[in-house]
Amino acid sequence: MRKRDFLELLKETMGMEEDLEEEMLLENIEEYDSLAVLSLMAMYDELGVNVIPKDFRKLKRVKELVALAGENLSDE
Amino acid sequence: MAKVCFDRAQISAIATTVGDRKLSIDDEKEKFGFDDNSLRRLKKTIGLNSRYVVSEGVCTSDLCYQSAIDIFRRLGIDKKDVEALLFVTQSPDYRAPSTAIIMQERLGLSVDTLAYDINLGCSGFVYGLFTAFSFIQSGLKKVLLLVGDVASSLTGKSDKTLAPLMGDAGSAILIDRVENQKSYFVMHSDGSGYQHLIIPGGACRRPYLRPLLTEDRDIEDISLRSDMDMYMNGGEIFNFSIKVVPKLFQELFEFAGVTEKEIDYFVLHQPNKYILQNISKRLALGEEKIPSKTASVFGNQNSASIPGTINGFLYENFSNLKLKNIFAGFGIGLSWGACYVETNTIYTPQVKTFDRRYYNWSGS
Repeated sequence: MRKRDFLELLKETMGMEEDLEEEMLLENIEEYDSLAVLSLMAMYDELGVNVIPKDFRKLKRVKELVALAGENLSDE
Repeated sequence: MAKVCFDRAQISAIATTVGDRKLSIDDEKEKFGFDDNSLRRLKKTIGLNSRYVVSEGVCTSDLCYQSAIDIFRRLGIDKKDVEALLFVTQSPDYRAPSTAIIMQERLGLSVDTLAYDINLGCSGFVYGLFTAFSFIQSGLKKVLLLVGDVASSLTGKSDKTLAPLMGDAGSAILIDRVENQKSYFVMHSDGSGYQHLIIPGGACRRPYLRPLLTEDRDIEDISLRSDMDMYMNGGEIFNFSIKVVPKLFQELFEFAGVTEKEIDYFVLHQPNKYILQNISKRLALGEEKIPSKTASVFGNQNSASIPGTINGFLYENFSNLKLKNIFAGFGIGLSWGACYVETNTIYTPQVKTFDRRYYNWSGS
């Protein structure tokens, strides 16, 4: 998956209307709450990425959500 | 590994009683402090809608009593034939003794009855059924299994992370001895996750009430909750559920030698619509085979959620058809288990709400 498709998937998973930028701070994203974390965990699980709730607490920016997808992302 | 096959036990009846007060999430919006946007998302994603809870003072045993009396009357059971009474609950009448023993007298069973409680929640129906089937395999002829919780009394009243999910229900299940009826059970436990779903206070490790204000980053709100109330780390429990349940089904398919196509119903514990949708997606099961509405109508019924789903939504087919079923429970402990059980036109009335006439207990 290309990075911009993954950003779109993140946006959809969190039920956002606004586009996501990699540098955005998660704490400024209103939709990034406990419910979004459940949806994100389900999304990563389907990609075969094992994340636990604790992992989300350390994240600061959208680019770190992107980095979690690891090998699922291809070069542009 | 705890994998067991039985060939002597069958379920003859399942009845469920729920609390008499129906609460709608729209009416509870202010109590929990939900704004319009979060309420809309909770309804859409988690499936919050309504739940049935008891009136003050009604216990799980009262709900189970009504369910058991229904079965005894309808099937004309001679009470002296019941040899064992099991009560699976986390909301007993007292910390001690076992409520099952009190229920022996209340239900008018013989003093020759074996009776005790089993402390389990979401996985409790499967474990209770396993224990009942074990008794039958060991030679007993008739076992009464009671399961359920008044889960609304286990949570902080204003804890919006947990209270809006919980419903109250008590079921009774009658198990009889027959010739040659195979069933298969697979069970697991993982104590490393005990702190993710817990009532920490009130027992020996933390015996006294110590009110505390908990800020939980996972849940992103502040809820007033005491040590005597249930705490849940929703993210951990969700993660656990979507990981272990699909694997559990694969184990059971292999052990029982059945395929997904042969199964009429997958009746799972019903924490909420979202978890069930995620599990059914991973198993690629059709919605008609894996009911997921129970929590949205009745609330999370803990150990009564599997019988609650049968009496709530599947009672006609369970009453009229021969069915191949998989039941699976998963949650607090952490504990999980599944079984393959066939049923043949058993007594399964539609779920009833609690009738105060059954609250005739003269105990303290």
